[in-house]
Amino acid sequence: MNVGERLTDQNFPESPEKATLEGKNKFLGFWLFLGGETVLFATLFGTYLGLRNSFGKGPEASEIFQLPMVFAATIILLTSSLTSVYAVLALKENRVKAMRGWLFVTLLLGLSFLGLEIYEFIHYVHEGHTFTSGAFGSAFYTLVGFHGGHVLFGCLWLSTLLIRNSGRGLTLYNSPKYYLFALYWHFVDVVWVFIFTVVYLLGKVG
Amino acid sequence: MAGNEHTNSVHRHSSLQKKIKLKQERRQHNVSFVMMILLTILSFASIMSDAISDTVAILFIIVLACVQVFFQLYIWMHLGHKGHEFPMWGIASGLFIAALTVGTLIGLIW
Repeated sequence: MNVGERLTDQNFPESPEKATLEGKNKFLGFWLFLGGETVLFATLFGTYLGLRNSFGKGPEASEIFQLPMVFAATIILLTSSLTSVYAVLALKENRVKAMRGWLFVTLLLGLSFLGLEIYEFIHYVHEGHTFTSGAFGSAFYTLVGFHGGHVLFGCLWLSTLLIRNSGRGLTLYNSPKYYLFALYWHFVDVVWVFIFTVVYLLGKVG
Repeated sequence: MAGNEHTNSVHRHSSLQKKIKLKQERRQHNVSFVMMILLTILSFASIMSDAISDTVAILFIIVLACVQVFFQLYIWMHLGHKGHEFPMWGIASGLFIAALTVGTLIGLIW
């Protein structure tokens, strides 16, 4: 079967993301990439944990962190993770419209998370907590900003995916692409779980 | 035509099984979503309340974060499904090196 051919309910494989050699390779390669990303974020987390009490000229962490806003951001990202799970379930049932709908909701939630983060950073800068106000500031913006960069990249990736495949059904060629995006999005949420725990909640108790 | 009818019913049977499996999976995903929301609320509440001492709260929220990661990796990212042996090795070695890195960096800067 041609990999670009639209799949029907009759010939739909159980795991369309792994039905071709290319799909299998992408799947394995992406998981190894996520293993590498884990280490990359670990370097930033380690640095932050070491420097989190070196406030320098800036305000202290417990003074500036706003837990209600962080909580809202956490729920938004967690919900977007759920909607991308729904997209993967729809992918496995060959319901392309439902899948694209859920991915669109995921994109909107991702963008609102980014908006909230930008608002938060602007607020902090006004409070005197900047990248150069102290080691805490540098470590904070590097870690949290790097995660925000991942969310931004995910939004761009998803937009491209949705635009490029608009009007197309599921094929053996594009199924792995959708599936890997969902994996990436979950990973971004996993990193956020540690950010809200290690950065915000830990910062609140000192 | 009897043979054709037979394959048809086999096809219907297997697609029914697939449907049941996906329905179960959907329920699993919903349950883990509710669990993760609860875990998040618990960790925020334990930090904000004065009743729990800071040391206990810190340990508690780190344990909760690890439980959440388990839900994400195992259920939402399907790491528990069959055919995930190599991904498991990839992510496990990533987590191992990550733990070493965090420990070393904190120790170095201390």
